[in-house]
Amino acid sequence: MASVELRHLRKAYGSLEVIHDISLAVEDGQFIALVGPSGCGKSTLLRMIAGLEEISSGDIAIGGAVVNNLTPRERNIAMVFQSYALYPHMTVAQNMGFNLKLSGFPKADMESRVNEAARMLDLTALLDRKPAQLSGGQRQRVAMGRAIVRNPAIFLFDEPLSNLDAKLRVQMRSEIKTLHQKVKTTSIYVTHDQIEAMTLADKIVVLNHGRVEQVGTPLELYKKPANLFVAAFIGSPAMNMLDCTVEGDGAQPAARLGDGSKIAIAPDRKVKVGQAVTIGLRPEHLNPGAGETTLAGKTLLVEPTGAQTHVVFDLAGQSVVAIVDGEHPARYGARFETKVSADHVHVFDRASGLAL
Amino acid sequence: MVPHSFPAPSEAPGSGLANAKVRQMANISISSGARAARPVRTVTRKRSSVAHDRWAVLVFFLPPALLLFTLFVIMPMGEAAWYSLYKWNGYGTPTEFIGIRNFQVLFRNAAFTQALINNGLIILISIAIQVPLAIWLSTMLAHRIAGVVSFRLIFFLPYVLADVAAGLIWRFIYDGDYGLFAAISNFFGFATPYVLADKDVAIYAVLGVIVWKYFGFHMMLFIAGLQSLDKSVLEAAEIDGATGWQKFRYVTLPLLGSTLRLSIFFAVIGSLQLFDMIMPLTGGGPSNSTQTMVTFLYTYGVMRMQVGLGSAVGVVLFIICVTLAFGYKRIFMRND
Amino acid sequence: MTDMTSTLRMPLQTRVYLYVSLTLIAALVLIPLLTTALGGFKSLGDLRTNPFGLPAEWQWSNYTDILFGERYWLQIFNSLVIAALTVSLTLVVSSMAAFAFAHVRFFGSSFLLNYFLLGLMFPAATAILPLFIRIRDLGLLDTYWGVVLPQVAFGLGMSILLFRNYFRNLPEELFQAAFVDGCGYLRFFWYISLPLSRPIVATVSIISFVGSWNSYILPLIMLNSEAKYPWPLGIMVYRGEYGTEWQLVLAFITLTILPTVIVFFLAQKHIIAGLTAGAVKS
Repeated sequence: MASVELRHLRKAYGSLEVIHDISLAVEDGQFIALVGPSGCGKSTLLRMIAGLEEISSGDIAIGGAVVNNLTPRERNIAMVFQSYALYPHMTVAQNMGFNLKLSGFPKADMESRVNEAARMLDLTALLDRKPAQLSGGQRQRVAMGRAIVRNPAIFLFDEPLSNLDAKLRVQMRSEIKTLHQKVKTTSIYVTHDQIEAMTLADKIVVLNHGRVEQVGTPLELYKKPANLFVAAFIGSPAMNMLDCTVEGDGAQPAARLGDGSKIAIAPDRKVKVGQAVTIGLRPEHLNPGAGETTLAGKTLLVEPTGAQTHVVFDLAGQSVVAIVDGEHPARYGARFETKVSADHVHVFDRASGLAL
Repeated sequence: MVPHSFPAPSEAPGSGLANAKVRQMANISISSGARAARPVRTVTRKRSSVAHDRWAVLVFFLPPALLLFTLFVIMPMGEAAWYSLYKWNGYGTPTEFIGIRNFQVLFRNAAFTQALINNGLIILISIAIQVPLAIWLSTMLAHRIAGVVSFRLIFFLPYVLADVAAGLIWRFIYDGDYGLFAAISNFFGFATPYVLADKDVAIYAVLGVIVWKYFGFHMMLFIAGLQSLDKSVLEAAEIDGATGWQKFRYVTLPLLGSTLRLSIFFAVIGSLQLFDMIMPLTGGGPSNSTQTMVTFLYTYGVMRMQVGLGSAVGVVLFIICVTLAFGYKRIFMRND
Repeated sequence: MTDMTSTLRMPLQTRVYLYVSLTLIAALVLIPLLTTALGGFKSLGDLRTNPFGLPAEWQWSNYTDILFGERYWLQIFNSLVIAALTVSLTLVVSSMAAFAFAHVRFFGSSFLLNYFLLGLMFPAATAILPLFIRIRDLGLLDTYWGVVLPQVAFGLGMSILLFRNYFRNLPEELFQAAFVDGCGYLRFFWYISLPLSRPIVATVSIISFVGSWNSYILPLIMLNSEAKYPWPLGIMVYRGEYGTEWQLVLAFITLTILPTVIVFFLAQKHIIAGLTAGAVKS
């Protein structure tokens, strides 16, 4: 187990820079998620930490020692790949023990460690099978088993669940979390799925275009997104974004929509009158019960999901999603009315995208 | 036979090995724990080259192939170009420089021009008879009928036999005294044709054997091509109302384009190196009427140890092969 | 399959047309071969009057004389040795080179690969005279190696290409996983690439074995003493000696192609796949 530290890390392919000066500290035992849209550089970053990708400049330190020039094996990391990358010609036991075999472990030792990992992951009955004879979930577990057998300093996960179907993904997600709570190995987990990141991680790093947009606990990111990108990325359904202009005085600021209607903003937001802003409203915060501002418009779409219903309605010419109780009598074409409290109105500067 | 499009290596000459060394030195300093290494700025490379034994692969894995290939393929070819400018019997070193005389002799030699014509004829027949025959058979054998596998096997069988054996077998078949031709003509009561001894007919007899020997290979190429076709396209054509022939003409055949080009390519390259089969059949005779370039090379270059002349034939053959191969690939196979 | 028409749905006419055409072609292929095999059982006179049908009197001695003689077995042995050496050397040398091309990026890699692919363009015959002189100067004339080395060299282009394409198609992540597990290139080659390459090893082996087994021009030029002749050379010599005694020549041909035919029918699936895949995949 070890801490991981990235200092001013850069990666460039020729003149194309894909990682721009990233610094990050991961504490010992922490589970951290790198999340972002495809092409944001999260996989590249992970592979740089793994030692599969050279770094153009900067330092990577594991357990305090700089490992820039060490091979993956010398870094003592284990990795779970998106496609699992199990060796097709080896049995489950051989797959899990391959690393130990290469390190010259005594056979008995190796077997006991493989068996221990297999027991932990419920793979004991499958040890003699080849990967082709396993189901998707089982392969996933073997890939994790291969990682834990060697007792690495850090676990790296590269979108490990994206090849599974929805139901299995939820199940494996909780298995990964359980496993981490058991072994407490520092883990770095790459995913494009923000729900996966939220549910698993102690700390989330949101990446975009090779830059860190925000680092924080799942709830920090949810409650206080630092900018428009994070706000739009975290949360499902996504936050509603409305272009407004700031009105009113310092004590009672409000955002004016295109049609002149106003939405109250909390007084502690650092806004100036006349400033062009984007306000963000989370669908789950649009609640018919409580709030200072009433929002209303024609219902455009009703999507029941059971316990809740998603209602899309027209607000000053823009579509806004609200989540209401499943029993709500919304129907297409009818007038829909809801409320929002000023505390739940996120405000961003439209030019810079930064939260105010 | 594949167009080679590699991502252009973005590194400078020799940087690979140099980097590996730098990295190794850096590692020593780390593992000795003296101090952390300074960040090393290295040339970026797509695939990680952090493994230390990269150089070992290059140093041990490439040279055997490189040595064999250079020594027995490339250098002989270069030497052929050199020797072709000399009159030489193969002993000592070539000293009698005669310029392009060997080539002049070659192109004035009736046997050699006959060999060129014959090679052309073989290519022509391969394309005009063998390929259509192969396509026809492959479409029949793509049906799921009883006995398909056996028919495929039988048709492919001549291809795995040695050219020499096939040549000898047909030498017997064509034999005017003992062979099948003798028996057939006896049966119908006309004079036995000595096909291999008749200089006007012999080449066609040879061509027959070539088709007999090689059509099965081309058929298998087309069967493989047909099997890789997307069945739903044909079903779509059927729903569009295409008849069997229309389906073949407008859907199957165009989709087989790359296989067709491949098949012709092999027919051409194969016919240019034809030798093994001619030797037992006719040895190039009668009166040089069935010479190919390689039999000519053997008869006039090797047997008489005229290294210069033989090398000149090799050079001509090389130029034809490479021109055809490159030209063909550039024109027809660039999309494959 | 172009036509998924099953036998059931096919009109009788079509079926008749199919079987008649196929049988006709099959007969054209098989009759020469059967005539050869049967001809070996006949006496010369019988052969003359009746080349087609069954022998009037089965002359087993034509075959048994060859089978109990030393010559046939010696030639088969020579062919086997040459083929075995060719196949093993080809496998070792080309798989290693192809691995370097597939997995190690180095300066000039594509240039070097193209250099090898030049070998696909022209046959050994083009350089046969300088090749002869080279082998002579190396003192390898009239040895197995004099045949094996040029054969391997001329097969390198194709086999390197086949191996390289196969190695490249192994999933990239497998390479990285092995890397993380502590493999370097050498161990990756040994533990991962080679064990996963059985199909391509089979393909390359079949191509080079068949090529070597049937090869004629190289042994013809490189070998002098009959004791080293592989069978294609051997039957030509035999035919030269026995001239028009066709019944003996036919028996000898039959016996020499028999191993090929038997192996072909035993391993037909692999051989057909190997020989055509070699063509298609490169």
